[in-house]
Amino acid sequence: MVEFSLPANSKVTNGKLHSSKEVAESPKKLVIYRWDPEDDKNPRLDTYEIDQSKCGPMVLDALMKIKNEIDPTLTFRRSCREGVCGSCAMNIDGVNTLACLKSMSDVKKDIKIYPLPHMRVVKDLVPDLSKAYEQLASIKPWLERSKSNGKNLDSQNEEKKQSPQDREKLDGKWECVLCFCCTTSCPSYWWNGDEYLGPAVLLQAARWVEDSRDAERKKRLTAINDSLKLYRCHSIMNCTRSCPKGLNPAKEIAGLKKAIVTEL
Amino acid sequence: MTDNRPLSPHLSIHKKVLTALFSIFHRITGIGLSLGTILIAIWFLLISLGPNYFIYFEIISKNILFKFILLIWTIGIFYHLYNGCRKLYWSFGIGMDLTTVYRSGYIVLFLTLSSTIAVWLLV
Repeated sequence: MVEFSLPANSKVTNGKLHSSKEVAESPKKLVIYRWDPEDDKNPRLDTYEIDQSKCGPMVLDALMKIKNEIDPTLTFRRSCREGVCGSCAMNIDGVNTLACLKSMSDVKKDIKIYPLPHMRVVKDLVPDLSKAYEQLASIKPWLERSKSNGKNLDSQNEEKKQSPQDREKLDGKWECVLCFCCTTSCPSYWWNGDEYLGPAVLLQAARWVEDSRDAERKKRLTAINDSLKLYRCHSIMNCTRSCPKGLNPAKEIAGLKKAIVTEL
Repeated sequence: MTDNRPLSPHLSIHKKVLTALFSIFHRITGIGLSLGTILIAIWFLLISLGPNYFIYFEIISKNILFKFILLIWTIGIFYHLYNGCRKLYWSFGIGMDLTTVYRSGYIVLFLTLSSTIAVWLLV
């Protein structure tokens, strides 16, 4: 449902300032969203002062420095620190991206960091992604071989080959790391996230629809041909604007819509 | 335990990116134009009722506020028209890479403004 303002327990208040004791060579302030499930307080914005000359270049480096040296209670997800795992997705300077790929020098003013927008917060910068994962599971993100298709029955024990041309059709889709930066930047998903699958999941749907080894193309298209699941996409293009891997979910969704019109 | 989880901020903190702005103005102009259609219907009604009633329109149309609304409406028509064409191309998956999206957005703005100016100068 469209609700522009935040519920009462989600309104953000001003928090603490953790100022650095030493004189910094190149000072930088980070304003970070904090919420602790252990106390009953509203979320707050804490400010941390760090010295960029004693820190790695990326926003994730700064977060780790804060956690290691200033405030060990700061909570966020991270793993690979090179844009492969998709764990450190968050809203930095107003745009969803991976903290490990976002350079601090890109932000001229104080760096404002929030969790992915319009998500339930587990703690600090950690959003609850279980709904999004459920939606991903609903599009069956695995290879399906039809049993009713006689040709496939004969060759079930054979290798499922794919030509280089067919493999190329998956480019721009397989690279997705499921960080959900796109999904949580989509206003349509903010208002209709219960039903609308969102760009990340639809990109995955396209990835399996386009796979030449998959036998259930029609079934997959039929499954997503739904006014809420698919057609809440109005080509706002925020997903493409946001993707830290440079992919184009909006275009893939347009491809799905086109395939439904021409093939079903 | 999970019930008290807050909702992370969205509209208020997300950058006002052009992609979203173009989209929301397409909606706003769309709603504005459908409301404007009612005004057109009233206008036709006044014409059909004859000169005694049409004189009311003559009086209202001299009002500066009326002219202002008409100007906004002209902008709305052209914006919705050109941005609609842009969205038609997108339905075919054409011009959806980010650079083209931004470029076509600026073209829509340019065409909207120049068409509006042309109409107001010529009519």
